Amino acid sequence: MSTTQASHSLAFRVMRLCRPTLHVDTPLLVDPSDLLVGEDIFDDPLAASQLPRLLSGPGIKPPEDAADLGYRTRFLLHDATDSMGLSGLLLLPQAFGAIYLGETFCSYISINNSSNFEVRDIIIKAEIQTERQRILLLDTSKSSVESIRAGGRYDFIVEHDVKELGAHTLVCTALYNDGDGERKYLPQFFKFIVANPLSVKTKVRVVKDTTFLEACIENHTKTNLYMDQVEFEPAQNWSATKLKADEHHSEMNSAARETFKPPVLIRSGGGIQNYLYQLKSSSQGPEHVKVEGSNVLGKLQITWRTNLGEPGRLQTQQILGAAITRKEIDLQVAEIPATIIFGRSFSALPKVEAFGSSDFHLKLVATKLGVQRITGISVFDYRERKTYDPLPDMEIFVDLE
Amino acid sequence: MEQESTDAGALLDPLSNPFASLDSLSPDLSSLNDLATRGSWRSILDKVSRSRSLNLLRHPHHHLTYLSFNVLALSKLRRFADASAELESLQDLDSPEYRYESYPKIYPDRSGSMVPFFLRWLHCIVPLRLEQRREGLDRLYRLVDLVREKLKEREANSREESLNVWKRRELFVMNTIIGDHLSHKEFSVCLDLIKDLLSRDCSGLDAVLLSKLGYIQLQVGDLEGAKGAFSRVEGISSEGNSVELKNLVNRNKALIYLVGKDYVSAVREYEVCIERDHMDFVAINNKAICLMYLRDLSDSIKVLENSLERVPMVALNETLVVNLCSMYELAYVNHSEIKKTLSNWIARVAPDDFDSSCTRI
Repeated sequence: MSTTQASHSLAFRVMRLCRPTLHVDTPLLVDPSDLLVGEDIFDDPLAASQLPRLLSGPGIKPPEDAADLGYRTRFLLHDATDSMGLSGLLLLPQAFGAIYLGETFCSYISINNSSNFEVRDIIIKAEIQTERQRILLLDTSKSSVESIRAGGRYDFIVEHDVKELGAHTLVCTALYNDGDGERKYLPQFFKFIVANPLSVKTKVRVVKDTTFLEACIENHTKTNLYMDQVEFEPAQNWSATKLKADEHHSEMNSAARETFKPPVLIRSGGGIQNYLYQLKSSSQGPEHVKVEGSNVLGKLQITWRTNLGEPGRLQTQQILGAAITRKEIDLQVAEIPATIIFGRSFSALPKVEAFGSSDFHLKLVATKLGVQRITGISVFDYRERKTYDPLPDMEIFVDLE
Repeated sequence: MEQESTDAGALLDPLSNPFASLDSLSPDLSSLNDLATRGSWRSILDKVSRSRSLNLLRHPHHHLTYLSFNVLALSKLRRFADASAELESLQDLDSPEYRYESYPKIYPDRSGSMVPFFLRWLHCIVPLRLEQRREGLDRLYRLVDLVREKLKEREANSREESLNVWKRRELFVMNTIIGDHLSHKEFSVCLDLIKDLLSRDCSGLDAVLLSKLGYIQLQVGDLEGAKGAFSRVEGISSEGNSVELKNLVNRNKALIYLVGKDYVSAVREYEVCIERDHMDFVAINNKAICLMYLRDLSDSIKVLENSLERVPMVALNETLVVNLCSMYELAYVNHSEIKKTLSNWIARVAPDDFDSSCTRI
């Protein structure tokens, strides 16, 4: 923080206003029956009948009159769960903290008049400066603040969605008439750095005619990230389905399931989470017979939440698929009979129209018993003298009759 | 010294009834207890030391009670090294030295351990505070095993009062363990442990525990999970009428509003709580926080200052003071003066265990 001149009536005070935290304590709270008597004393029937009354008597239970309360709430255990230390008390952010791309920067700004004189006609501006641009967050030029009395304050809250990495400066300026009527200019600068919260590594694999996209998200922040949504937005000619692993056994218990779906949390400082998507090309028409070169598959939209639901969102760059050459002739096995008998022919070629498909029966005779491989079936175009890709190998089992 | 009134079933001679009053349990126990409720932990240390040197502690269990108060006082004053040394002076807590049947002349017809349960718990906590986490956690998990053994024995013999006491102790220790994992941000473990506790039959405690499950889910960012937990709490509380439970429901609602940035509605919920119970300091503190997010720094400061003035016995809490000081630092260029005023007031009225470093002076 820096000021240009020595004496200003006004000064900016800034506090980052990310969400508050639910404070976790380490309390030392006692139940009287755990301290005032031995642990096994309630096994004694006389004690069991007498002690409960004694231990909730006037010496111990909270008095009617609040003035006699003393500090017993700092001593006595009210509920067994008190020892968890999570009372529900909120705590204001105690430090500026780290700011990441995709988050919203929110700040409370207070301009204080610490002089003994009223200050008038104040024009206040707040903007964010980065390497690439200046973004105006607040400007009171159109309706300047008339005055701030001695000891008074003018407050405002600004928000800015962080979309750039690196150095940022929150610049707060005030133009005002001080107690002597002199027009003064106060600039103050608050610097912060924006870092990358995640890195995403993707792998594309093609199996037969399905494309699989594997995405690995790594958390570079200092807190755990709750993955609210990780969705793949496919490009125009693609459709995508997210593939999920089998459910965790704890999710099988349906009563627990509603309150208690285990959250997808990526551990801070290097934790990872993998996602798998199945992509199908939706193009069937003639225009897409031959598409060579790289394919744009789409991009990942990632929304996460941290402390008390503080959201962040990022999009990856376009993810490219493997090159796909659409085959001119595509040969597929429609059906193999379940049992194949030695020595008997088991099944011949119709004409196939352009852009058409046809099923046909091919008769083959098995000449060996046991597990056999059928290889080398391919399609030969007489006119063009061209052999197309062979059918992938098939295994069959040949038995005696 | 209080006199116990006669029991409906049996006439007990007050002079010979060992449970007539706190002082019949151990010498001057009512005084120790009174000092503890005032937070006068230094006076407790003095009293223990004096009683020991004047040989006022005649029976074995007196020594244990006084030692427990001593370790507790040292811990409250954050003198954990001294607390540890005091604990080291003990034998193994399961040794015969600490059992009633080893002294048949003093405790005829009584058997079992005379160790105050809280002493066992302190024995686990002190290493945690001394940054010996592994040792502390090990001891806590072993303590859970011990409690479960005791529960099994008493289930077999159906001693109801004793059973209830040990059930409560089991919850107490489990919640301590969850708290430790929570303070180390091991959220998945916490959620698993709470789920385990909830799946047992602990009716009545469900509302508070479920709410805390919701708080952890909120902390982690799982808003849907938290909403689910809170609506289950509302289902439970509609059957009961206590102010406490009603306020719990309203405070949970307020948190959901806050998370949705609807601070106005959150403030409204907290005001309902304060109207019902003017000592609900969680509602007071959180209302002040919401006012700040509504750009009303002046009122947020007023709410906290008023609470310290009106109900200091609940409001004088380190977290509340940290919040107030953060607000002062924002509101005043020369905030050291106003913080000094606060700090001086605290020094006059606060209990011995109040951690005044929270004013950050």
